[in-house]
Amino acid sequence: MSGMEALVQGRNAVENEYIDFGKLSALVIDDISSMRHAVRSQLQSLGINSVKLASTATEALVQVEANAFDIIICDYNLNNASSGQHFLEHLRSENLLSATSIFVMLTAETEYDFVASAVEFIPDDYLLKPCPEKKLRSRLMRLLDKRAFLMPVLKAINAKQYDVAVRECNRLLGVAPDERRMLDVLRRKADSELAMQDYAMALETFDRAASLRSDVPWIMMGQARAHYALGELEAAAKIAKQIVEMNKNYVSAYELLSRIAIDMDDEDGAYEYLCRSSAILPSAKRFRDLSQAAFLMGKLEEAKSNSLEAIKLSTGSMVERTGDYLSLAQVQVDMGDQKGAIETLEKTARKHGEVGLFGVAKNAILAQAYFDLGDHEKSQKLLERSKSLLANRKNSFVMTALGKSALKAGDVVLGLKMMTEAIQVSGKDEKRIARHVKKSMKDTGHDDKVEDVIDGGRKRILNLVEEANRLMRTAHFDEAYLKVKEAFAIHGENLDALMTAAQLHLLWLKQGGMNEAIVERAKDYLMRLDRLLPNNQKVMNFYRFFNEIVSE
Amino acid sequence: MQNALSALVIHDIKNALALLEIELEQLNHHEGVPVEGQRAYRRCLELKSRLMGFLTLYKHDQSGLNPMVSEVDIAEFLEDLVDASQSVQMGRSRQGHPVSVKIGPGGNANVGFFDQNLVELALESALNNAVRYAHREVRIWAERQGGVLTFKVCDDGIGVGMVDETVQRGEKSSSTGLGLALCEAVAKAHGSGSISLENVAGGGTLFCMTLHKAG
Repeated sequence: MSGMEALVQGRNAVENEYIDFGKLSALVIDDISSMRHAVRSQLQSLGINSVKLASTATEALVQVEANAFDIIICDYNLNNASSGQHFLEHLRSENLLSATSIFVMLTAETEYDFVASAVEFIPDDYLLKPCPEKKLRSRLMRLLDKRAFLMPVLKAINAKQYDVAVRECNRLLGVAPDERRMLDVLRRKADSELAMQDYAMALETFDRAASLRSDVPWIMMGQARAHYALGELEAAAKIAKQIVEMNKNYVSAYELLSRIAIDMDDEDGAYEYLCRSSAILPSAKRFRDLSQAAFLMGKLEEAKSNSLEAIKLSTGSMVERTGDYLSLAQVQVDMGDQKGAIETLEKTARKHGEVGLFGVAKNAILAQAYFDLGDHEKSQKLLERSKSLLANRKNSFVMTALGKSALKAGDVVLGLKMMTEAIQVSGKDEKRIARHVKKSMKDTGHDDKVEDVIDGGRKRILNLVEEANRLMRTAHFDEAYLKVKEAFAIHGENLDALMTAAQLHLLWLKQGGMNEAIVERAKDYLMRLDRLLPNNQKVMNFYRFFNEIVSE
Repeated sequence: MQNALSALVIHDIKNALALLEIELEQLNHHEGVPVEGQRAYRRCLELKSRLMGFLTLYKHDQSGLNPMVSEVDIAEFLEDLVDASQSVQMGRSRQGHPVSVKIGPGGNANVGFFDQNLVELALESALNNAVRYAHREVRIWAERQGGVLTFKVCDDGIGVGMVDETVQRGEKSSSTGLGLALCEAVAKAHGSGSISLENVAGGGTLFCMTLHKAG
C-alpha cells in the first residue's frame, strides 16, 4: 500500500464515523424548478431529510435569515437580476451567513473562472453541473470534515466571541494533522483578529500562513489588508499590486488599491482602479461607488451612467437602495438636467414615498431643481418641507443636499449650518463628506467659506477634545467633563470625544473613588463606543478596566 | 446575436442534460432497475462528457481557456476522480475484460494549484482511454518537480504504435481524438503545459499531462 493510498483510506474511515447526513439541513437555490427538485432528490438520497427550496435570491434570503443551514447549494445562473455570486457577496458582506454554513456554487459553465478567482467572497466549493451524486457526496463529506475540525472556532465566530475563536484556533494549531488544516485554522484566526481590529496580530498570522505557502491570493490579500489597516499604505499597495500581477482579475485587490489611492489623495488612480473592478465583476455596489467617486471628481456624465447602472442592477432585488435615486437626481441637477432630476424623484422613485431621511433629501434636491427652473416659490416650499422632515435626524449626505438647496435659495445661514453639521457628524466618512461639501459650496458660489465650514466643524470638536485631554491629565476631571459635554453638544457620536470621555471617566473613578453618576456615564460611553466600533481592541480594554474598577 | 443565441441554446441543452442525468441516476437507485435503465444512464453520462469535452475545446479554440486555479489536495482530488469516473465504474476494456483502476503507487505531490474541474475533465478522458486499452489494470498518480506538476496514467495494455493503433486510437470512440486534444488544451491553459503518450517497458502505455506553475 502506498503512502497515498493509506492516507486516503485512513481519511475515509474517520469521515464515516461522525458525519450523519440525516441530521443536516440544506437549502437548494435554483431558478429552474425541475433542477431544484432534482438536486433535492440527490440530497435526499444522501440521507439529508430536511431540504428547503428557493427559486430566487430574495426567496433564499428569507430562508437564510430564518435558518442556519448546514449546506446551501446555489445555482450560479439565477436570473438576470442577480447571480449566485451576487447573492453570496451580499450574504457575506452583510454578515448574514452563519460561519457553520457550507456554501456550494453549482454552475453549468466551465468558465466561471473570472468570477471564482477574482473575488474575496468565494464559496466553499464549486461544482460543475450536472454533478453526479457520488461526487456531490464526496465533496460534501470533505467540507463537513473540515467544518467538524473547525467547529469550536466557527461557533465562537458565530457568537462574535472573537477572542474565544482565536484561543480555539491556537489550540487547533497544536493538533492540526497537516499543513492544509493548519492553513484553514490560520485563516480563521487571522479573520477573527481582523474582526477584533488587532491588525498587528492579524498580520503576524497572515505572515505565518505565507511562510507555509507562498503566492496564495487570500493570504497575500490578508497581508495587504492588515498593512493597510495599520496605516502602512506602501506595503499594502506593493502586495496588492503583486496580486493583480499574478491574477489580473482579482477584484478585491483593485478595491484595496483604490482605497489606498484615495488615502494618498490620488483621485484619478482611485477612480481607475474602481473602473477595473466594476468592469470585471459588475455589481450595484461597485457602480454605486464608482458613481460617487465620479461625482466628487466632477465627472458628471460618468457619475450619471454609473448611477443608472447601479439602479438597473439593483431594482427589485435585495440590494436596491433609495439612495441611488438621490445620487442620480443630484447629479442630474448639477448637470443642468432639472427635468430629469424631477422625473427621477417624482416618478421613478415614487414608490419610496417620503419616508425618513429619503424624504428629507428628496425634497431638498427637488427644491434645487425647481429653483434652477425659476420656480422659486415651489422651491421654497420644498425646502421648508425638507427642513421640517429633518427634525433632529443627522445624516451627512442628507444635510449636504439640504444645505445646497438652502445656499441656492440664498438662505446662507441655514446652508452653512447644514454644511458644518454634515462635516461634524461625518465620523469615519469624514474625508468623502468633506469633498462633497466642498463641491456643493463651490457649485453655489461659496468657495470662500469652504475652509471655515470644514475646519469649523472639525476643529471645534478637536479643540474641545484636546482641552479635555489636557485637563484630564492634570486631574481636573470636572472641567474636562464640561469640555467633552460641549463637544457632544455639537456631535453626540464623535469618536474622538467618546474615547476621551470614556478614558476620562475611567480615570476619574480610579483616582476619585466610586461615584454612581460617573459609573453610569462611563457605562453609557462604553456602550456607545461598542456600538460604533464593535470588537475594537481599545474599547475592549476600556471595558476590562471598567470591570476591574467596579468590582474592587 | 448569433453568438448570444448559440450560448443560450447550449446553456439550455446543458441544463436539460444535467436534469436527465440526475433523473436517470435517481432511477438507478431503485431496486430491480431494468438493464435498459442502466444503459440509458451510462449513455447519458457518455454524452455529457462528450459535450463538455467538446465545449471546452471549442472555448479553447475561440478564446482560450481561462483556468480557475485553486489549491487542491492531490490525494483527495485523485480519489474523487477515480470514485466518480464513469469508465472506472464500468471497469471494462473494449474487449470486455475487467479492469481495475488504482491510485499510485508513487507520486510525491501533496498539493497542487490548478483548475480542478478542467483537469478532472481531461484526466477522466485519459482514464477512459486507458481503461479501454488496458489488460487488467490502470494506475494514476501525480508527481511534482519544482513548480511543475505531472499527472500520469499508465495502463498495462498493448502500448501505442502497436498493431492497428492508429485505427484503434482514432476510431469513432467517444473520447480518443477529442480526449487527447482536450488534455492538450487543458495542459496549455495551465502555463506552457504539454502531454505525451509513450510505451513503457514490459508493455502498456504511459500518458503524462504536465502542468507548469501548478506544483
